[in-house]
Amino acid sequence: MSAQTSPALYPTTGEPVEVNARRNRLGVWLCIVSDATGVVALLIAYVYLWSLNVNNGWAPPKNHWAVDWPFWAIVTGTILGTICMWWGVKAIAKGHTGRLMVGALLSSLIILVAFIAQIVQLSTFPFGPTDGAYASATFWLAIATAIHLSLLTFLTTAIVGRTRAGRITPDNHSHARLVAMWMTYVCVAALLGAVFTTVMKESPNQNAPTFGTFRE
Amino acid sequence: MSQTAVIHEQKAVPQPKQHGKPGGFLYRANIFTGLIGGIGAAVITYAIGDKLVPWGTQNADFSQVGLNALVFCTFAAWVIGFMVGIGAFAGPIRWALGHDLTHVDAEYMAGKGQGRMKYWKYTTDHKVVGIQYLIMALVLFGFGGFFAMLIRTELGATWREVFDPNFYNSLIGTHGIVMIIAMIIVVAGPLGNFIMPLMIGARDMAFPRLNALSFWLLFAAVPPLVLNLVMGGIRDGWTAYQPLGTQAPIGMIGYQVCIITFAFSTGIAGVNLITTIVTMRARGMTWARTPIFIIGTLAAAIMGLIWFPMFQYAQVLAASDKVLGTSFFIPQQGGSVWLYENLFWLLGHPEVYVIVVPATAGILELMVVFLRKPLFSYKLAVAGFAGVVGISAVVWVHHMYMTGFAPAAGYPFMLSTELISIPFGFLVLVMLGTMWRGKAWNRLPMMAVYAVIIDKIIGGITGVYLSDVPVDQYMHGSMFVVAHFHYMLMGAGLFAAMGVIAYWFPKMTGRMFDERIGKIGFWTAFLAFQVTFLSMFVAGLQGMPRRVLQFDNAFEISNWISTIGAYCIGIGMLIFLYALITSWRGGKIAPANPWGANTLEWQTETPVPLANFPVLPVVTSDPYNYGVPDPYLKVQEQLDQDDNETVGAR
Repeated sequence: MSAQTSPALYPTTGEPVEVNARRNRLGVWLCIVSDATGVVALLIAYVYLWSLNVNNGWAPPKNHWAVDWPFWAIVTGTILGTICMWWGVKAIAKGHTGRLMVGALLSSLIILVAFIAQIVQLSTFPFGPTDGAYASATFWLAIATAIHLSLLTFLTTAIVGRTRAGRITPDNHSHARLVAMWMTYVCVAALLGAVFTTVMKESPNQNAPTFGTFRE
Repeated sequence: MSQTAVIHEQKAVPQPKQHGKPGGFLYRANIFTGLIGGIGAAVITYAIGDKLVPWGTQNADFSQVGLNALVFCTFAAWVIGFMVGIGAFAGPIRWALGHDLTHVDAEYMAGKGQGRMKYWKYTTDHKVVGIQYLIMALVLFGFGGFFAMLIRTELGATWREVFDPNFYNSLIGTHGIVMIIAMIIVVAGPLGNFIMPLMIGARDMAFPRLNALSFWLLFAAVPPLVLNLVMGGIRDGWTAYQPLGTQAPIGMIGYQVCIITFAFSTGIAGVNLITTIVTMRARGMTWARTPIFIIGTLAAAIMGLIWFPMFQYAQVLAASDKVLGTSFFIPQQGGSVWLYENLFWLLGHPEVYVIVVPATAGILELMVVFLRKPLFSYKLAVAGFAGVVGISAVVWVHHMYMTGFAPAAGYPFMLSTELISIPFGFLVLVMLGTMWRGKAWNRLPMMAVYAVIIDKIIGGITGVYLSDVPVDQYMHGSMFVVAHFHYMLMGAGLFAAMGVIAYWFPKMTGRMFDERIGKIGFWTAFLAFQVTFLSMFVAGLQGMPRRVLQFDNAFEISNWISTIGAYCIGIGMLIFLYALITSWRGGKIAPANPWGANTLEWQTETPVPLANFPVLPVVTSDPYNYGVPDPYLKVQEQLDQDDNETVGAR
C-alpha cells in the first residue's frame, strides 16, 4: 500500500487519519465525562446549600440576587458560537474549506464576546464572593463558565489558525469536529448553570435555625 | 507536505514542514529549565503579591485571607512556571499555530538518541514515563514511610512527648495523603504506562504528550504538599475536614494546590489509559482475550476519571473559602461541612478501589504464570471488577455514620457497603479457584500472592464489621479503623505492588531482580506488618482513639509492639529497596521472557525497542492457555510440514 494510493495518513504514527480521529473522539468524550463530574460537583454544592439555608446564610445581603438575563445572554452567545462551528464542520465535510474558515472565525469572535460578557458579569454582581452561600455558589458557576469560555476562545482561534495553515482539510478535519463536540458540551454546562441560578433563588428552607457568628 | 518519512520500516508517510531542530522548544527544555521556571515564577509572584496583599483581612473563621491568597498564588505560579519551563505548553501552541509534529519530532520527543537524559525531559515514550512514575512512587513511599516512623516513635515513647502536638498532627495528615498518592500511582503509574501498552500489543499510549503531561503535573504537585510541614502543617488528617481546613495554617494551601494539580494529572492519565485500552488492542485481542491486568487497570481508570473531579472540586471550593473568603463550608456564612464530606468521600471511597483493583488484577496475572494454570473463571473476575466499579459509587456515606449527616441514610449505605463484598468475594474465589490443585513455582512474585490473600481476608472481614452502623458507632475514630485500612491499602495494595514490580522488573530494567535479598526484605516487612497492625487492632478494640499523642497506660503494650513492628517494616522495606537498586544497577541480564509467560509484553525483546514490536502482533488465543495446545500452531505446523513435503517432492 503506497502513500500515494492510501487515504490520508497521520504523520507521526503512519496510521490512517480516521483511526486517529476515532481515538481522539473517545478521548474527548472521556474529557467531557471528567469535566462534567466537576460541573456536577458545583451544581451539587449550589443545590445543597440552597436547600439547607444553613444559619439563614443562603440569601445575599438585602436579597440582592443576580440579574437573570446576563446568564442567558452568555448561554445564547455560547450556543451561537457552537452553531457557527458546526456549520463550518458540516461544510468542510462536503469539501468547502472556506466555510469552515468563516464558521470558525465567527465562532471565535462570538465566544470571545461571551467570555468578555462573563468577566463583566463577574465584576458587576450586586454582591461579593463573601456575601453568603448563594453569592459563593453563583460566583463559582460563573467562574466555571469563564474558564470554559477562555478555553473555547483558544480552541476556536486555533481552528482558524490551523485551517489557514492548511492543517485542516476535507480529508482530515477531525480536530474541528472535536472542538465542536467540546463546544456542545460547554453549552450544556453553561445552560445548566443558567437554569439553576434562575430557578433556585429563595431557599425552600425559610425556618433554618440561626446560630449567629463567632464575631457576634 | 514536501517530504515523507518511513515509519516503522513499513510505509512512506507524507510529513509536515519541519520547524527548527527535532522537538522544537523541547530540544532545550528539561527538568532544570522547569525548576528555573517554577521557582522563578513563584518568587516573582510572591514578591509582587507581597506589595499588593491587603494584610489583616480575615474571613468568618478568622483565617488570614490576604496571606492565604498570596501563598495560593505563589504555589499556583510554581506549578504553572514549572510546566512552562519543562515544555508542557509547547505542544498546544504548536498545534494552534498549525506546526504539527513530524515523525522526526515525535521520535525525538519519545527520547530517541538522548540516553539517560530522556528521563529528565518531557519525554513521551510510555516506557520512560513508566520508569519516571516508578521512581516518583518510590520517593513518595520514602517520604511517607519516614513520616510513619516518626509517628510510631511518638506513639512508642509513651513516657514523653517527642514532637509538638501540632507537628504530630501534621505528620499524621502528611503521611496519610503522601501514602494515598503513592498507592494510587504505584501500580497504575509504572505498570499502567510501561507494561499495559506492551501487553495489548500497541506501540505507545493513545496520547503520548498527555502521558508526559500527567507525570510532570504529578511532579509539580508534590513540593507544595511536602512544604506544608514547614508552613504550619495540615493538622486535621489527610481528609482535611472542614471547617478545620479553613481555620488551618497556610500549610493547608499546599495540600489543596497539590490535590487540585494531582487530580488534573489523574484525570489526564485516566483518559489516556481508557482510550489506549479501548482503541489500541492488537488485532485478535477481543475483550475475552484481554489480560486480566488490563481489565483491572481499565476499571481503576474509569473510577478515577469519574470520581476524582469531586475531590478536586472539594479542594477548589475549600481553597476558595480560604483564599477568596467564600462560604461553601463555613456554617456561619451559610456553608455546610457535610457538603465537603460528601464531595470528599464521593471520591474518598472509590479511591480505595482505584488502589486495590489494579493491584488485585496484577496478582491474578501473577497467579496464572506461577501456577501454570488458566485463570479460574475469567468472566467471574471481570464481573467482580465491574461490580466493584458499579457499587463503589454508592458506598461513600459509610464514612459519615457518626457525623450526624442523614442518620436515615445509614442503613441503605450499610447494605450497599456490605454488598460490595460480593464482587470482592468473586475475586477471592477466582484466586482460590486458580490455586486449587495448582503446583506453585514459588518465586518472589508468587509469595506476594500468598501475602495479599492473607491481608485481603483480614482487611476485608474487618471492613464488613466497620460497615455496620452499630459496630461503627463503637469503632469509629479508633485504632481499629487505622489497622483495617492499612490491611487494605498496604497489606493488599503495597505487597501486591512489590510482587508485580518484582515480576515485571526484568522487562522494565533489562535485569533480573535479586530474589534472595528481595525475599528477605519482603518477608521481614510482611511479618513485621502483621505484628504492627494486629497489635493495632487490639489497641482499637480496647478503645484507643486515633490521631492522639497521649493515651492511657492501658494501651502502652500494644503501642510498643506496634512501634517495634513498624521499625521492622522499615528495615524490611529498606532491604527490598536495596535489592531493587543493586539489581537495577548490576543484576543478571534478563532474557526476553524469563518466566515463560504467554502475554504479549514478554514476546518482544528486552530491553524493549522504541517502537515496542518490529511488526504489530496478532493475537490468536487466550493469554492463559497454559497447558492447552494452540490450535493455530497446529495448523501452522501442518502447513510447514506440507511445505517441506512439497519442497522435498520438487
